[in-house]
Amino acid sequence: MTKTRLRAVLQWALGVWFVLVILAAFFYAPSASGFKGESARIVFFHVPQAWVAVLAFCVNLVASLRYLRTRNPIDDARAAAAARLGLVFSLLATVTGSLFANVMWNSFWNWDPREVSIVILLLIYAAYFALREAIPDEERRGSLSAAYAVLAFVTMPFLVFVVPRIYWSLHPDTIIGATGQLKLQMESRMLQVLLGSLVGFTGLFSWLYTLEVRLARARLARRGREEV
Amino acid sequence: MRASTLLSESLAVLGKELTAELRSRVALNAVGLFGLTTLIAVAYQIGPYRIQEQDRPHLLAALLWVILFFAATSGLSRVFVKEEDAHTAKTLRLAARPLAVFAGKFLFNLILLAALYAFIVPLYCALMGYAVQGVASLALLLACGAVALSATSTMVAAIISRASGSTTLFAILSVPLVLPLLVMLIQGTRAAAGSTTIAAVLPALQGVVSLGGATLVISVYLFPVVWHD
Repeated sequence: MTKTRLRAVLQWALGVWFVLVILAAFFYAPSASGFKGESARIVFFHVPQAWVAVLAFCVNLVASLRYLRTRNPIDDARAAAAARLGLVFSLLATVTGSLFANVMWNSFWNWDPREVSIVILLLIYAAYFALREAIPDEERRGSLSAAYAVLAFVTMPFLVFVVPRIYWSLHPDTIIGATGQLKLQMESRMLQVLLGSLVGFTGLFSWLYTLEVRLARARLARRGREEV
Repeated sequence: MRASTLLSESLAVLGKELTAELRSRVALNAVGLFGLTTLIAVAYQIGPYRIQEQDRPHLLAALLWVILFFAATSGLSRVFVKEEDAHTAKTLRLAARPLAVFAGKFLFNLILLAALYAFIVPLYCALMGYAVQGVASLALLLACGAVALSATSTMVAAIISRASGSTTLFAILSVPLVLPLLVMLIQGTRAAAGSTTIAAVLPALQGVVSLGGATLVISVYLFPVVWHD
């Protein structure tokens, strides 16, 4: 099978997977107790979005470290692509979390530590692009934004794990509990849908990321030809 | 000729920074006046009596760190920008190894922060009627907070000095990085104000020390890349 054909098959498979996840989220998974109405079903979309935002941050870190070692422009493009997608997914996680907060607590924003954490993550991504915009020289842009990305990554464990545990939080229990133990107290069908959605969103991220990197590669190749 | 060590080079950079600062007093004036102006505005508008008793621990701790952080921001960003503006960065690159430059600038920022804290914190406590039970805990928290803030600010200052629009970029880049630190410092200050034991501030202190330590180690690793680029 050619690469193009394989890509087309995977794209269709991803589309079908998402249709199944959406149907399962509304018709297969049971209602969760302790939540208003059907609001808990947002977990099947909100959690994977937050997961992808963090995953994008990790990919951004790896690409940034590679760029600092190799100085290959494609690694800088990879880091920027991951950050761009991370920005989009953290925005989506903020919006879906806010919708859930409005249903549960009658307010779109409650200054909950987890809400603040995701907003800080958004600010870091925004700052990363502000820095890139401010540096006209490509090589310097690559190295300085890579350095900033690595520095910013240090704060992520504190945002995700430390700050929400210092302050009292309205946010429902996360998979890793406050005492550090693994908590998977979810009805098995709900867990299946959540895991399915996590796989789907990770696939969506991989597809969009690959598209961005291919586009960047094509741009670099065209510029290389123009310079020759 | 005696070979220079990392320590002697770092101290030489620190000495140069202090001499230049004592000559011009730009950063000292900026930080001191910014802190004083903000403190007066806060004390005049809010003062010790306009906050409800139950809100005092939260609000007074948060206001103290807002004043300290934004006052510090006005001076900490200058350490590398001034080298680029005065066209002395190239000479400094030749004169000292990157780690010595980072250490010297980091120590200078630390001294600047210590001076700001020594000036603003007692004034704040007096003007806002902020009675701190755990003075030793607060001092420890301020010291650890200064190290963490200085490490982040020195690294961000190095990054922005190589980009255009430096002054505005400093706030944009440093605020998201410093926010988790500020959250922990505010939490720790609140605990220190209400208790004489160090144990009360320990959770926040652990967070501040870990974040500060991690930032410092990463900065030491990254600085040569930024400096020599």
